[in-house]
Amino acid sequence: MQNPQPKSRRQFLCDSAGGLGGVALASLLAEENALAASKDTGSNEGRSGVLGYPHHRPKAKRVIQFFMAGAASHLDLWDYKPRLIKEHGKKWDPGEYLELFQSSPGKTLQSPWKWERYGKCGKHLSEITAPLGDCVDDIAFIHSMVGKQGVHSTSTLLQATGFQLPGFPSMGSWVSYALGSMNNDLPSFVVLPDHRGFASNGTKNWSSAFLPAQHSGTLIQPGTRAPIADLFPLDADYISPEANRDVRSLLEKLNRKHERRNPGDARLEARIRSYELAGRMQLSAPEALDISKEPKKIQEMYGLGYQRKEYPKSINPGEETFFFGQKCLIARRLIERGVRFVQIWSGNDNRHPRRNWDSHENIQRDHGPLSIGMARGAAALIQDLKQRGMLDDTIVMWTTEFGRMPCSQGSSGRDHNPFVFSNWLAGGGVKGGVTYGESDEWGYKPLDRNNPTYCYDVHATLLHLLGIDHERLTVRHNGIDRRLTDVHGHVIQDILV
Amino acid sequence: MSGRAISRAIIALTFVGCAGFGGARAYAGPAKAGEWWSHEPIERPAVPSVSEEGVRWSRTPIDRFIFQKLTEKEMRPSREAHRRTLIRRLYYDLIGLPPTPAEIDAFVKSDDPNAYDELVDRLLESKHYGERWARHWLDVVHYGDTHGYDKDKLRPNAYHYRDYVIRAFQSDKRYSRFVEEQIAGDILYPSTLDGMVAMGFMSAGPWDFIGHVEVPETKIDGRRARNLDRDDMVATAMNTFVSSTVQCARCHDHKFDPVTQQDYYNLQAVFAALDRGDREFDTDGETRGRRAELIAKQKKLEGELETIQKKIRDVGGDRLAKINSEIERLRDASRASSKAAQFGYHSQIAPKPDVTKWVQVDLGKTAKISKIVWVGSHDNFGGIGAGFGFPQRYKIEVSNDPKFEKDVHIVVDRTKKNVANPGVAPQKAEFAKGKLEGRFVRMTATRLALRANDYIFALAELLVFDEAGALVSHGRKVTSLDSIQQPVRWRRSNLVDGYYMGVTTNVEDRATVAKLEAERDGIIASALDETTEARRGAVRGEIETVRRQIAGMTKRMRAYVGWPKRGGPRDIRVLDRGDILKPGEPAVPGAIPLGTEGLPAIFDLQDAKNEGERRVALARWITDKRNPLSWRSIVNRVWHYHFGRGIVETPNDFGKMGRLPTHPELLDWLAAEFRDGDQSIKALHRLIVRSSVYRQASEPNEAFAAIDSSNAYLWRMNRRRLDAESLRDSVLMIAGKLNRAQFGPGFRDFVLEKTEHSPHFEYHKHDPDDAMTHRRSVYRFLVRSSQQPFMQTLDCADPSQMIDRRDESLTVIQALALLNNRFMTRMAYHFAIRLEKDVGYKSDAARVAAAFEMVTGREPDDDESALLATFVESHGLATTCRGIVNLNEFVFVD
Repeated sequence: MQNPQPKSRRQFLCDSAGGLGGVALASLLAEENALAASKDTGSNEGRSGVLGYPHHRPKAKRVIQFFMAGAASHLDLWDYKPRLIKEHGKKWDPGEYLELFQSSPGKTLQSPWKWERYGKCGKHLSEITAPLGDCVDDIAFIHSMVGKQGVHSTSTLLQATGFQLPGFPSMGSWVSYALGSMNNDLPSFVVLPDHRGFASNGTKNWSSAFLPAQHSGTLIQPGTRAPIADLFPLDADYISPEANRDVRSLLEKLNRKHERRNPGDARLEARIRSYELAGRMQLSAPEALDISKEPKKIQEMYGLGYQRKEYPKSINPGEETFFFGQKCLIARRLIERGVRFVQIWSGNDNRHPRRNWDSHENIQRDHGPLSIGMARGAAALIQDLKQRGMLDDTIVMWTTEFGRMPCSQGSSGRDHNPFVFSNWLAGGGVKGGVTYGESDEWGYKPLDRNNPTYCYDVHATLLHLLGIDHERLTVRHNGIDRRLTDVHGHVIQDILV
Repeated sequence: MSGRAISRAIIALTFVGCAGFGGARAYAGPAKAGEWWSHEPIERPAVPSVSEEGVRWSRTPIDRFIFQKLTEKEMRPSREAHRRTLIRRLYYDLIGLPPTPAEIDAFVKSDDPNAYDELVDRLLESKHYGERWARHWLDVVHYGDTHGYDKDKLRPNAYHYRDYVIRAFQSDKRYSRFVEEQIAGDILYPSTLDGMVAMGFMSAGPWDFIGHVEVPETKIDGRRARNLDRDDMVATAMNTFVSSTVQCARCHDHKFDPVTQQDYYNLQAVFAALDRGDREFDTDGETRGRRAELIAKQKKLEGELETIQKKIRDVGGDRLAKINSEIERLRDASRASSKAAQFGYHSQIAPKPDVTKWVQVDLGKTAKISKIVWVGSHDNFGGIGAGFGFPQRYKIEVSNDPKFEKDVHIVVDRTKKNVANPGVAPQKAEFAKGKLEGRFVRMTATRLALRANDYIFALAELLVFDEAGALVSHGRKVTSLDSIQQPVRWRRSNLVDGYYMGVTTNVEDRATVAKLEAERDGIIASALDETTEARRGAVRGEIETVRRQIAGMTKRMRAYVGWPKRGGPRDIRVLDRGDILKPGEPAVPGAIPLGTEGLPAIFDLQDAKNEGERRVALARWITDKRNPLSWRSIVNRVWHYHFGRGIVETPNDFGKMGRLPTHPELLDWLAAEFRDGDQSIKALHRLIVRSSVYRQASEPNEAFAAIDSSNAYLWRMNRRRLDAESLRDSVLMIAGKLNRAQFGPGFRDFVLEKTEHSPHFEYHKHDPDDAMTHRRSVYRFLVRSSQQPFMQTLDCADPSQMIDRRDESLTVIQALALLNNRFMTRMAYHFAIRLEKDVGYKSDAARVAAAFEMVTGREPDDDESALLATFVESHGLATTCRGIVNLNEFVFVD
C-alpha cells in the first residue's frame, strides 16, 4: 500500500474491500458512517457518494424532476406567441425546408387557451398552467431548449440520460452515485411513474447502466398492491410477520458463523448488513408513503380531493390532478426523509387512445387535463417546499422529450418539434422570475439559432448546484471516461442566484 | 457493462494508490499502429523456470508463469482447496449448477488419483456446459429477444442464434470457424444450418424500429438510424473479437488508440449492406436442394403453360379478351353489394380542380400484377350518384417505392385529356405475364371531380390481381395524400373492402356467363390440337402437384439474423463529427491498422461491390494467425470467467483506456497455445482448471493482501458471488422444479399486454409456479426495455449493453428480492414439500439438515443443526428453507 494517509476513510475502505466487490461494501459502510455522522450533528448532510466531498460548495442537496412523456407543447403551456394568435388559420411558412415526423405542415395554429400574466415578473401562462401563476417568481424558464431528433425513445433517453442510445445512467443515478444517500433506510433515487404505465424505453430511463446497481431508480407505485416490489412477501401465506422477522435473525446468526470461519472478506459483512437495512426499509418506506396522516389542508393543496374509485376512460382533469398530486406529495415526504433524487412522470407510452402528451390529433383534448393536473401538483409542491424552507436547497425541474409545432397536424393537433421546446427550474439556488433563452416568433426554433440550450447545459447546471463539476464526475466504461454531459455542457450562469 | 469495471473505476477515482497493479499510465495521445502491447505480434514465450518449490507446486505451464510473478512480488500461492470446495467451484464454473450431496460425497471419498480430471471431463461433456458458457458469450454480444428502444417489439425468432451458441460451445467448435460463421456464415457456409443462424450475431443487439420502419431510409432521421445501426454492428464485432473500442471514432479520431475516423467508417463499409430481420431457410442441405429443384420444375412448367396460353390468345384475339373480361365482370359484380354504406375513399376538399391528389394501396410485398380494376363510387350528395368524385384526369402507377420517387411504372395514363365519368362501371387494365411487378399501386387524380362548388377525388374500390388471378389488394393498407376519414361511409380502408356499387347477381347473368364460357371453349378447341390441349390439362395438373409438394415440405426455419439487403452495399462516407448531413471521403472496406506485416488495414478485394466478400475479408482478418488481438482476446475472456478477472482486466478493451495485462507472457503463451493448437475452448478449460493456481483455496493472507489487495497476481482463488442465472437455476434445482429441456423459443416469465403498439411486459403478473418457466435461465426471453427485475437485482446482463464483466453487487434491494420475491418464496415452499415427500427423512431436524447440505454443499455443524432445529420447530419447514436459500454460504462460491 502506498497510500500515505494511515487509517483514512479511503484507506479503511480499500483495505476492507479485500478484492472483488469490495466497493459495494465500501458504499454500504460509507453510507452508514455518513448517516451516523449526520445524526451526530443533527444535520442532513450525508456524504456517502463516490465524491466524499463535493467539488465546490453546493446550493442544493436534492432534486425533484418532472418528466412529461410524449412531448408536451411549449406553445400551449408557457411559451406565449402572439403571432400564432394573429395568424391563426393562415398558411404557416417558416421559410425553409422542413421534414416533420408524421405529417406535412398544416396551417398556423394558435393555442386553444387564453393567456395571462402572472407574478411580479409578469410571466405569461396559459389557462392550463394557471395554477403555477403563484410560483412564477420562483421559476427560471428556458425557452430555447433544442433536441436532436423527433423520435420519442431517443429523445426521452437524451433528456433522461444525456445520450440518445440506451445504456447510459440516468441523471438520478449519477447524482446518487456522486452524492449517495442521506438515509439508508430509503433508496437514494426514487422513480414515481405515471399511474397508467411507463413512458417509452420503460425502465431504461432510470437505469444505472454501468454505474453500480444500487444507483438505479427504485420504482414506487403508490396505490398498487406492492408499491415497492419485494418489500414484503406476496402470496406466501406460510410466512407470518413473526417468521418474517425471525428469519432475518436466523440468517444473521448463521451468516455470522460463516463469516467467522472465513475472515478477511468484507463482502460477507456487507451482505449481512444488507439484510439489516432491508429490515429497516420495511419499517421506514411504508411510513414515508403513508400520506393519510398529512393534514387535510395539505392533502387538499395537492389535489387529493379529486380521488375517485373510478375515472372516465378518456384523459380527464380529476384523474390527472389526483395522481400527479399524490406523487408530488409523496416526493416531498421522500426528500424530507433523505431521498436524494425523485423523478415524477406524467404520461404513459404511445398508444391509442392517447394516454400521454403526444397530441398529434387534438391538443385541447389531451393537453388540457394533463397540464391542469401537472400544474396543480407542481404548484402545490413548490409552495409546500417553500413554506417548509426546503425550496432553498431542493431543485425542482421540469422537462419533456421535445416541443410541438406551431402549425397544425390535421385540424387541431401538433406534430413533434425537436427544434425548440421549454424546460424550467426552481429552488436550490435557481434565480426565480426569469426567462433564459427565447424561441423565435413562431416557437419553431430558438430565436438565437447560434445559441440554443441543450440538455447538457441544464444537466451541467443542475450538477453545479449540487456541488458537482460535471466535467469531473466521470466513470470509465468501454475505454471512454463517461459523464452525464458527454463532451458538452455549460453551466447556465444567468439563472443562478 | 459491469460493475466490476465500475468498481475499478471507483477505485481509480477515489482510492488511487491502493490498487498496486498495472495502475499508473500516461495518457499522452494516441499510440501509433503497432506501438501498443496488444498490437505486438504474439510470440510464444518460453515457460519460465522456477524454484524447486515452484516446480513441485506447478501442474501446468500456467502455474510456472503465475509462480514466477508471485515470487517476483514476494508472495507465494495458497494451499490447495478442499475437495468439497473444489467440486462446488467446478460445477458452478463449468455448468452453472451445484453438485448434489451424493456427487460431493463420491468425489470427496474417491481415492482415484484421476478423480479430479475425470470430474472435469464429465462436466465438460455435460449438456449443461454449453448452456453455462453460451451465456457468457451472449453477455458480450448483447443478445436480446426484443428490439429495444421505443415500441420494444418482440423477436420471436431470435433464439436460433442463442441455440447456435449453446451448440457451438457444447460441440467445441473450432474458434476460427466460430468467428467466421458469425460474421460471414451465409457466404462461407451457406449449406449449413450453423452458417445461417450464426448470422444472429450481427443482429443480436438493439434495433430502432421507428427509425427503420416508420421513418424510411430516404428521410434524414432514417439515415441517422441506419448509421447508428451499423455502429452497433461495428462495435459488436470489434469489441467481441478483437477487444477494440473502435466506436469512439464515429465522431472523431480515437483519442487514445490508433483508430482514425476513416478506419472506423471503413469498418462500417464492411457491414454496409446488412439489415436485421427474420429470414427463412431450410435447415439442411438436402431439403434446400430439393426445394430448389421443385421451384425450378414449377418455373419450367409455368413457362410451358404460358406458351400454350399464348397460342390460345393469338387465335382468340380481342373476342377472347372481351369474353374473359365480361365473365369476370359478371362474377365480380356478384360479389358486390349495392346496399353497403362503405362508399369508399374520399379526399379532402379542394377549391379548384387542378390539384393533384393520390391514394395508394400497399400489397404487403412485391406482387406480379396481371390486372388492376378501379371503380367509381356512389353517393347521392348533390344528386351526383354514380361516379361521385371520379377524377376527370388521372393516372395509375406501380412501384416498389412507397413514395413513388423511383422505379415507377405508369400503367394507366389518362392525364392528357378529360375522361368521361364511367359511373360505377369497373375500369380495368391488364398486363402480360411477367411484365409488371410492384408492391404499391397508386392512383393519382390530376384533375379533380366537381362536387357542388368545390372539387374532390373519390373512389369506391381498387382491385389488384396477381398472375395466379388472386386478389392481392383486399384489406391491405391504404395511404393517401389526404382523406376526410368519416367512417363508415368514407375512409381509406373502404378502398379495399370488396364493396362497391355494381350489377347485382341474377339468373340472367348466370346464363350469360355459361354462354360466354361455351364460346370460349370453342375458341380454345380451335386454337389447339388435341395433343396440346391434353398437354395443357396435364401441365396444369403437374403444376398443382409441384405446388402441393412444395407446400408439403418441412417448414423452413425462420430466424432473426443479420443479412444483406438486395442491391448491394450502401455508400458509406466518413461523416464529419458523425453527422449524416456532413459526408466526407468515401469509406473503403477495411479494419484497423495494426502495423502487422501481411495484415493490411484496407482489404484487398476482387470485387469491391461484393458485400459478402467484404465480410469474408473481415472474418479472415480476425482469424488470421498473425492478428495479435483476436487470440489474446478469446483466451483472456475464458480466463476472466474462470477467475473472475482477466489477465487483462478489461476484456472488451485492449487499448490505452483499458488495463494492462498482469501476466503478459502468460497471456501470449495461452494465445499461442490456443491459436496453434486445435483452437479448442474445452482444451483451454482443461488447461486452466487443472492448474494449481485454479485449485487454490480462497483464504485470506494479511501479508499478501497488503501487497496485492485485489489479488491481481492470484495468490489465492477469488471468492465469487453467484451470478443471476446460476442462483436462479440452483434454486429451481434444489426445489426439485428444474426443467432440463434444452433449446427452442425462450420462456416468458412475464405477462405480455398491449402488444398493438408498445408491448408491456408485466413481470409481476407472472405465476412463478408456471412450469414452462422452470427451465434454465439461459432460455429466458430477454426483454430490453424492461429487464426482469429479480434477475436485474442480481446483476444479470443488460441486453442493451455489451457486457464483458458483470457486477457482483450486494444491495438492499437484492436482499429484499432474495427474501420476498414470489419466485423465491414459492421455490422455498416447493423445497419444503420436496423434503417432506422424501421418506428418507424421519424428522424436520433431518430435513433442514439435508436442506442446508443441498444449498451449501456441506453438512451443518452441531451448532448450526441446533439453530435450524429450533427454528423449524417454531416456524415450519418452508420458512426455514426460505432462510437457507438466503445464506451467504449459498450465494458465494469459494
